[in-house]
Amino acid sequence: MAIVAETNRFSKTSRTVLAWLVGLLFFFPIFWMILTSFKTDAVAVKPEFLFSFTPTLDNYINMTENYDYWRFAANSVITSVFATIFTLVVGIPSAYAMAFNPSRRTKDVLMWMLSTKMLPAAAVLYPMTFLTKNFLGIFDTHFLLILVLSLINLPIVVWMLFTYFKEIPREIIEAGKMDGVSTWGEVREILIPLAWGGIASTALLCFIFCWNEAYWTVRLTTTEAATLSKLIEGNRAPEGLFFGRLSAVSAAAVGPIIVLGWFCQKQLVQGLTFGAVK
Amino acid sequence: MSKRKLARLLQTPAVLLLLVWMLVPLSMTLYFSFIRYVLNNLRRPEWTTPALSNWRGFGNYEFVLDAKDFWFAVQNSLFIVGSILFLTVTLGVLIAILINRAFPGRGIVRVLLISPFFVMPAVNAVLWINMILDPVLGLQGIAIGGINDLITLLKDAPLVGWFFSLWPTLEPISFRATQTSAYAVIIMVTWQWTPFAVLIFMTSLQSEDQQQKEAAVLDGAGAWSQFRFLTLPHLGRPIAIVVMIQAIFHLSLYAEIEIVSRGNGNKNLPYLIGEFANNNIGAASATGIFAVILANIVAIFLLRMIGKTLMD
Repeated sequence: MAIVAETNRFSKTSRTVLAWLVGLLFFFPIFWMILTSFKTDAVAVKPEFLFSFTPTLDNYINMTENYDYWRFAANSVITSVFATIFTLVVGIPSAYAMAFNPSRRTKDVLMWMLSTKMLPAAAVLYPMTFLTKNFLGIFDTHFLLILVLSLINLPIVVWMLFTYFKEIPREIIEAGKMDGVSTWGEVREILIPLAWGGIASTALLCFIFCWNEAYWTVRLTTTEAATLSKLIEGNRAPEGLFFGRLSAVSAAAVGPIIVLGWFCQKQLVQGLTFGAVK
Repeated sequence: MSKRKLARLLQTPAVLLLLVWMLVPLSMTLYFSFIRYVLNNLRRPEWTTPALSNWRGFGNYEFVLDAKDFWFAVQNSLFIVGSILFLTVTLGVLIAILINRAFPGRGIVRVLLISPFFVMPAVNAVLWINMILDPVLGLQGIAIGGINDLITLLKDAPLVGWFFSLWPTLEPISFRATQTSAYAVIIMVTWQWTPFAVLIFMTSLQSEDQQQKEAAVLDGAGAWSQFRFLTLPHLGRPIAIVVMIQAIFHLSLYAEIEIVSRGNGNKNLPYLIGEFANNNIGAASATGIFAVILANIVAIFLLRMIGKTLMD
């Protein structure tokens, strides 16, 4: 038995070490980006200053002064927040109806919704640009971006909400009906409190996807509604002589979302599996 | 109002919005794919405005099928998506098993691990291709330079010098060539999406039947057969989910391809559409229709496979 205990202790130690190594390895690129953001462009490419250098805030100051970071960040916040709200406003009733009043076609509708996400955006880019520029005149507006971000996230949001709502025992809703609660009352008094966690994590994931979206946000904007994705696209200096600058902009663009993600990783996982994994 | 009617009414906004979002651009793409439509043509200015009189029939489709890039782009799309799926699922299962049992600092390791998933794709690409994979200035270049210096130094060392003088000088790999930049894309997307797979598999492993496992140990089952006959079947459903969600996201991969391989020949279907769309809208639209068909084949295959288990 002593031998077993010995090997167990060994395997536990090695498992711990290995797990930490894997975690650090995956985090390393982000750490590296943050570290480089405190180096000047000249120091950032010199091997002898990999870890020993005098930290400087120049890149961040430069970023806010010359790149107008706050305007891009404000646009990211505005479009992501409103797109999330709009998606939820449209998605909640729909998911509610599907979960509590399913018909034979509910499953097909859900599948169809998900399949719209598979349409390659590039295939419809030109018509979209054409329509919004020449006919509707809403190209490069917050309104357009909010609408598009909502539409591309709506299928995932409806799916997630649907799976959360389905978890709610129907008996509770039935009992409410017996007590003569109206449909609206049913939603407000029973559904929302019970599904609050699910709605919150859906909103969060939707917000993250909106924030990170890099296809439509880059192509349907020029200056007015340009978000942080656009700022990064504009700053990807091809021959990388500006690592310091690049890192600062990148870190400032992903920082808020990473921190937000840390706080709610558990709910996110649950939501993303569409309730299929418990 | 009856319950049924109300339910339908509540669904209407979402369904209607998605229907418009799908049908309007799609029908325009379909229309453009059957006419001659280019943005710039000095000799045939009538082609620069979309009109039925420029009808081309299946001409655009033939043009695209004959373009040498088309089949390459299809293959490359499937290669990139397939590789990412394989790597994320394999790594995901291994890492999930590694961190499934409690160890000191598990919470912190979890937080470190999930972080890449929240990085925006544009930043991911810029970070990897410049600061990590660049053959001269990136960490790859620095690391290989360091190893080479070390070997040169050791060549003059007594006793072991002969051994190191046999070593070749290492060459850093440039990830900007056609083939290697596809690898670069695979590496960076795998880095971003493995955490997602890990977390989902871990959630699933928590619900694995421990009694069954103990019984297996008592019956003398080794670690491998426990994994093969208990853990892997248990992970079937989460693996299906991970594959489906990733397929949805990666078939339309664009930002990474664009940033890594601007103009070096590495392309997937969405990127090829973008290239055509610089001038030839007709061809871009025809390629778009092909991309829709490809996505549908994958979608039908996946949704059939996974849809059933999801609805029960």
